[in-house]
Amino acid sequence: MPAMWWLAGAAVLVVLLGLYVFWMSGRVDRCHARASAAQAALDAHLVRRAAAALALAGTSGDEQLRWAARVALDAAHDEREAAENDLTRVLREHHKKVAGSDPDHADDADVVAASRRAALARQVHNDLVRDALSLRRRRLVRLLRLARRHARPAYFDIDDPVLDRA
Amino acid sequence: MRIGIVCPYSFEVPGGVQNHVRDLAETLIEMGHEVSVLAPADEDAELPPYVVAAGRAVPVPYNGSVARLQFGPIAAMRTRRWLQAGDFDVVHVHEPVSPGLSMYAAMYSDAPVVATFHTATPRSRAMAAAQGILQPVLEKITGRIAVSELARKVQVEHLGGSAWEIPNGVSVAKFAEAEPLPGWPGAGGAIGFLGRFTEPRKGFPLLREAFVALAARRRDLRLLVAGPGDPDDVLEQVPAGVRERVVFLGLVSEEDKRRMLRSVDLYVAPNTGGESFGMILTEAMAAGTPVVASDLEAFRAVLDGGRAGALFRTGDSTDLCEVLAGLLDDAAARAELVARAARAVSRFDWPVLAKRVLEVYATAIEVHAVDTGPDWRSSS
Repeated sequence: MPAMWWLAGAAVLVVLLGLYVFWMSGRVDRCHARASAAQAALDAHLVRRAAAALALAGTSGDEQLRWAARVALDAAHDEREAAENDLTRVLREHHKKVAGSDPDHADDADVVAASRRAALARQVHNDLVRDALSLRRRRLVRLLRLARRHARPAYFDIDDPVLDRA
Repeated sequence: MRIGIVCPYSFEVPGGVQNHVRDLAETLIEMGHEVSVLAPADEDAELPPYVVAAGRAVPVPYNGSVARLQFGPIAAMRTRRWLQAGDFDVVHVHEPVSPGLSMYAAMYSDAPVVATFHTATPRSRAMAAAQGILQPVLEKITGRIAVSELARKVQVEHLGGSAWEIPNGVSVAKFAEAEPLPGWPGAGGAIGFLGRFTEPRKGFPLLREAFVALAARRRDLRLLVAGPGDPDDVLEQVPAGVRERVVFLGLVSEEDKRRMLRSVDLYVAPNTGGESFGMILTEAMAAGTPVVASDLEAFRAVLDGGRAGALFRTGDSTDLCEVLAGLLDDAAARAELVARAARAVSRFDWPVLAKRVLEVYATAIEVHAVDTGPDWRSSS
């Protein structure tokens, strides 16, 4: 009779392992789906920020800002990070100027809000990428290639675009 | 927006997290949102209309003090039922790594999950060990908020990931308009303390020593104390003549807390550690009462580096006594602290902060993809 018990035990083990794999595969799918949605959201917020910067350049006549905003909007994929960092730098300079003169009536309120949303989207994106990458590193996930249907998510490596924390 | 908020601690016991949840919920409701709060509480407990009672909480020693939490299969089931009935656009859990309702809500939610981290615990072995187990829960969280720089550091160093800093808020108008208690502060001056005075890290013994020293020279100076506990436990060391000048209010309601803060000339926060934010400081500042606080990192941040309130050496009752004496004699210095505090506290006003929280909700909703695979439930 012991052979039957061994068999039953092995069957239970297989079922449990199967459930675990099923659950893990769900986690992998969810993390990747979120990471890619976060990338789209971050992209949209950066475009919104550049558009707000362009509008600000229009009213303030700041040519350097207009140029930086245009470059960020037109940047190819591999130039995007550098272009966004340039825009952040120019916006910081502009913000410092207007915040220094009259903090309550700054003309860049829209840009400050758009920058904050972009910073938040960047943080959420990088967190979700981190979660997805740490799942991809797990032995079981690699062994069974549970992530094979998903492209490897990548961090979007830009400086914190926030202009004003408060 | 339909918003579900989860508080893991019982509403029947006042506390920083509970107050935060209540004020956030009320501010969001005033802004026109639909809000439901899930919290541990008995079914017959008196609760605000937007709170759903999840059942009785159990006292658990947690993070150096006693928290009233609720966990187990019944709590898990009730959390799921609340999530289903609420059909929320976003679920906002507080302290998701404390065992209980917040963790269940994060696990079971189909809606995007935003989490707020309140605690700034120093690195503990238990927390490091728990990280692997908590990872599936943390993975469900899309937006992470920390209420202080310290809480953010804990989140970054111990749990991985980052956090968006949004400080604790205070409803400034409510505090500024509160009526002082009859007969207070009185001509002889009054000092205030609020909190669990029997708990050592709240630092009441330091204030008691300083007050006894001050009271010897100032015949009409009084000390107003609010908070749970038996006054007899802390009055033994007070000389008989001074004892009747220490007035205990017991556990106070929110309204009486505001009145209490308006009833004193100085508010003292003598904590010796463990505070991650110092909510009570912003409340005293909103009430227009000058603050004297321990020189803790969190307190210094709230008090604008010591410009919006006086700091004394943490744990040093002699220094506290000197700072108090100086301010009691100098009405102009007190007025200056109050003016600077009013400016510093405006960035903590709830209507301002609720807008920041809504931005995090909006981001979480944007990136919330429909779950493509089996969820937690199908495997448990």
